[in-house]
Amino acid sequence: ASSAKYAEYPHKKIVSLSELQTDTPVDFLYPNDDSTYGQCFLVKLGEKAGGGVGSNNDIVAFSSLCTHMGGLLSRSYKPAHKVAGPCPSHLTTFDLTRHGMVVAGHALESLPQIVLKIEKNDIYATGVAGLIFGGVKNPGIK
Amino acid sequence: MIKNHTDSVPLPPKNADVLTTCCDYCVVACGYKIYRWPVGQKGGIKAKDNALGIDLPVGLDQGGWVSPNMHNIIKHEGKPHHVIVAPDHEIEVVNKGGNHSIRGGAIAQKCFNVEKPTRDRLQYPQIRVNGKLERISWDDAFTIFAETSQYVIKKYGTHSWAQKMFSYQYFENTYALTKFAFRNIGTIAFAFHDNPSNAPSTPGFRDVGIDNFSASYEDWYLADTLVISGTDPFETKTILWNEWIMKAIAEHRQKVIFINPRKTTGVAFAEENGGLHLQLNPGTDTILQMALARIILENGWQDSEWIKKYTNNKWETDSGFGQGTRNTDWQWRTTWGQFQTKGFEDYKKWILSQKESELNYAAEVCGVDAEDIEWAAEMMAKPNPDGSRPKTSFGVEKGNYWSNNYTNTSSFASLGILCGAGNRPGQMISRFGGHQRGGMKGGKYPVTESPEKFGGRRRKPLDLDRWVQAGKVRFAYVVGTTWTAAMCGSGELAEVFRNHITRNPNQLESTNVQHVLEVFKKRVDSGGMVMVDQDIYLRNNIGTEIADIILPAATWGECDFTRANGERRIRLYSKFYDPPGETKPDWWIVAGIARRMGFSGYDWQDSNDVFEEAGRFGRGGILNYQPLVKLAKKQGKRGHELLREFGTTGIQGPIRMQGGKLVGTKRLHDSTLKLPETGPEKETVWRQWLTKFKTHTGKANFMKSPWYLFGDFYDHIKPRDGEIWILNGRINEIWQSCFDDVERRDFIKNRFPENFIEIHPKDAEKLGVESGDYVSVASDRVPVQISGFYGRDIDDLLFKNLLKDGHIKFVSAKVKAVAMVMDVPKEGTSFMYFLNPENPANVLTPRVPDPISGNYRFKLGVGKIKKIGESPYKHSFQQMTFKSRAII
Repeated sequence: ASSAKYAEYPHKKIVSLSELQTDTPVDFLYPNDDSTYGQCFLVKLGEKAGGGVGSNNDIVAFSSLCTHMGGLLSRSYKPAHKVAGPCPSHLTTFDLTRHGMVVAGHALESLPQIVLKIEKNDIYATGVAGLIFGGVKNPGIK
Repeated sequence: MIKNHTDSVPLPPKNADVLTTCCDYCVVACGYKIYRWPVGQKGGIKAKDNALGIDLPVGLDQGGWVSPNMHNIIKHEGKPHHVIVAPDHEIEVVNKGGNHSIRGGAIAQKCFNVEKPTRDRLQYPQIRVNGKLERISWDDAFTIFAETSQYVIKKYGTHSWAQKMFSYQYFENTYALTKFAFRNIGTIAFAFHDNPSNAPSTPGFRDVGIDNFSASYEDWYLADTLVISGTDPFETKTILWNEWIMKAIAEHRQKVIFINPRKTTGVAFAEENGGLHLQLNPGTDTILQMALARIILENGWQDSEWIKKYTNNKWETDSGFGQGTRNTDWQWRTTWGQFQTKGFEDYKKWILSQKESELNYAAEVCGVDAEDIEWAAEMMAKPNPDGSRPKTSFGVEKGNYWSNNYTNTSSFASLGILCGAGNRPGQMISRFGGHQRGGMKGGKYPVTESPEKFGGRRRKPLDLDRWVQAGKVRFAYVVGTTWTAAMCGSGELAEVFRNHITRNPNQLESTNVQHVLEVFKKRVDSGGMVMVDQDIYLRNNIGTEIADIILPAATWGECDFTRANGERRIRLYSKFYDPPGETKPDWWIVAGIARRMGFSGYDWQDSNDVFEEAGRFGRGGILNYQPLVKLAKKQGKRGHELLREFGTTGIQGPIRMQGGKLVGTKRLHDSTLKLPETGPEKETVWRQWLTKFKTHTGKANFMKSPWYLFGDFYDHIKPRDGEIWILNGRINEIWQSCFDDVERRDFIKNRFPENFIEIHPKDAEKLGVESGDYVSVASDRVPVQISGFYGRDIDDLLFKNLLKDGHIKFVSAKVKAVAMVMDVPKEGTSFMYFLNPENPANVLTPRVPDPISGNYRFKLGVGKIKKIGESPYKHSFQQMTFKSRAII
């Protein structure tokens, strides 16, 4: 069991449900427009996932920065396994169905999950659970 | 629902205290910095405003980020302080640039904090009264220990007094504890945490002439071809992988050959990058290694020039005072004539004459394609078109030497020297290592008094577990190991202890010292045993239910300690916070006991005193640091303080003095090392093995590896009637033998809330098992050797004869695990984490030591797997993941 605990940020539209294809990740910037630390990806996994939204609870989003040493995970999604990784830097892999839990590797934290909600046909990012690599607070937070 | 997650971390202010240490976990021992500052203060994100000296956020793909798991609150001088324990991002050795593992990166979580899962640290001496632990004073604990020990030793003899201890937990502690056991008590009933007897881990290396830890990390990087047997460093030696091997693959296309039944991330990555996985059947390494040697010999790919120069010929083999290789502490091993060769030609002749080395036979038994074996031999040894040779290094760990100890290691090292490895940059043969190297012997194991022997005067170290089983031990002092759970056939071994201790009718009814002494004397006189367990947590089951007295130890961060890593790099592990409660470092505890027993030489005031004394006794060894102690004295400093100046870089042992300065030793047996012609300077000790092999001539020996010495055991143990191999070992996220991490890191506990078993999809289908199912893993034929200390010749100790002569019994064992169906273990094999407290895989492993070396075959469990229902994790998003560990 878990308690809901995440930081809410300004809501931001990411993509329309109708534009989304299973297993095709969508890159976006969140919680602000920082082109380095705000790099995130959203993906419709095609299977139910922790924190997933949509009619199948299968749409999830995460920070693209590996929580080991900041390797970029955006191009590492593996449709067959529903994981991000292995990170090109040191091979950490994260389970996107289980809140970004480390499958194998060296990261000290799960991959920060972007909280999503659906309004009508659109998917919005509304918050971040976890500390994004690099800083001591998430981008945009004073 | 989104999971609970920390999203900020405090920064150390500019004036925070900064100390250095290393990770307490795997052998690589990454360098860390400790930042400590009082609660109430905080630093800023600019380099000028924080003690890290960096601007935050840090750049991508860089070290220096402080993650929430690097932070904790500790007490320093009685007051609450923040502490950040972060990889040293400025370090230029080991974990260059601040790289880190999942274990070390979170090591701040190791610190005692009543608000965190470390709150169950042992804090006071306790004694078990009516089955319940009650607090006693250190003074009473010492009195009870000393008087009971003296009674037992006087009445039942020295060897009824046993000590079982860690081999690695800092020089100061291992020195003090072994000084006590060997120099004062003088017992043969002694073993380290991972071995039933005082035996070397890789005896075949020793006979070839190779020190276990001869290589430097750079050698693993420099190799063109790297042979890795019995481990995946990605899993268990993270930074060796990240910073040395993975970089070698990226920067100079190193080819990595993995020899391992299991395919984990590092293996899969190597395969993707020009390497090769020889996914052999468990326990068949000797055959595979002999087949590789034969291919090399038949093609003439051996390094003939090097072999001529650096290996013993017929005359050299038997030369010298003491008949060559017979002049070892294992002389009985070679007098059989089973292993010794008369040099290269004799070795070649022997290899070519063995059925096991035939390619097709080996391919069949090992379950590896013949073409892959040929390809591997080519990568190891085939000269390049220009006539140059590939630089090949050979690294080994427990999957290899803990399945078949002697012949696996003798054939592995012989294969290595056939390829010209062992004494030069990028061409080394070594262990990668498990625990860090923190052993400093304070006395000599009295092997000549061991009852474990062969015909004539050939003695070997005593099998302590069998000694206990035979009822020979009346008092046991256990330090920093579970003993029961860590050994083979561990469920039955725990029963032996229960029979001797908790089921004995003489149990305590109060903490009164006189009462305790009376009861303990009655207990030992009735054939029972008294046990003292010294540790940092109450371990299952030795602490939770068996031991009579529990002594609480202080550990990493709570006292200044020293230790070396897998390339013999010696560093100071700084004290940075108050030890909890009345905990004391192990050296302090054993000193108190020793003084109470009337032994002198235990008046140390602090750990530096022990460090400096131990230095004198380590002078001849590979971790000799005495020149540092002497130089410190000359400079008016203490040994620890001078070592502290070396920070996270440390210095590689053995330390030498050259031109008035301390120099480290990069590798052993180093043919490229130039020693000054003026001779050893001051306290420097030059041993032959600095530049040559560790043999009587300084040249390496080719050793034989006759399969029949293991084959009868193997034929008996291998799976039958619906069984499969139940392999066991460490995994990346836990690693440290359930030391203190898995149960006390929330994010690791979520990942592995219970023990698991990886099952190949084809086996799972046959068994009707899916990921997330609970399964029972059981065997009714776990062999346990219960007697047979004496064998007139080798045949007496072959498994079939031990069985015939009534020295073996079979026990049943069963554990529960959560199934993880994935293409990671080889079909017909499975894999469990070895030391889960509730469901340890070790209950299924055969407690029959290798008769040649005395080591267990920890990796050869077998059992039947049966579904017993669904676990709660099967449909949970919060705990456990069932994704493959080999996704690339």
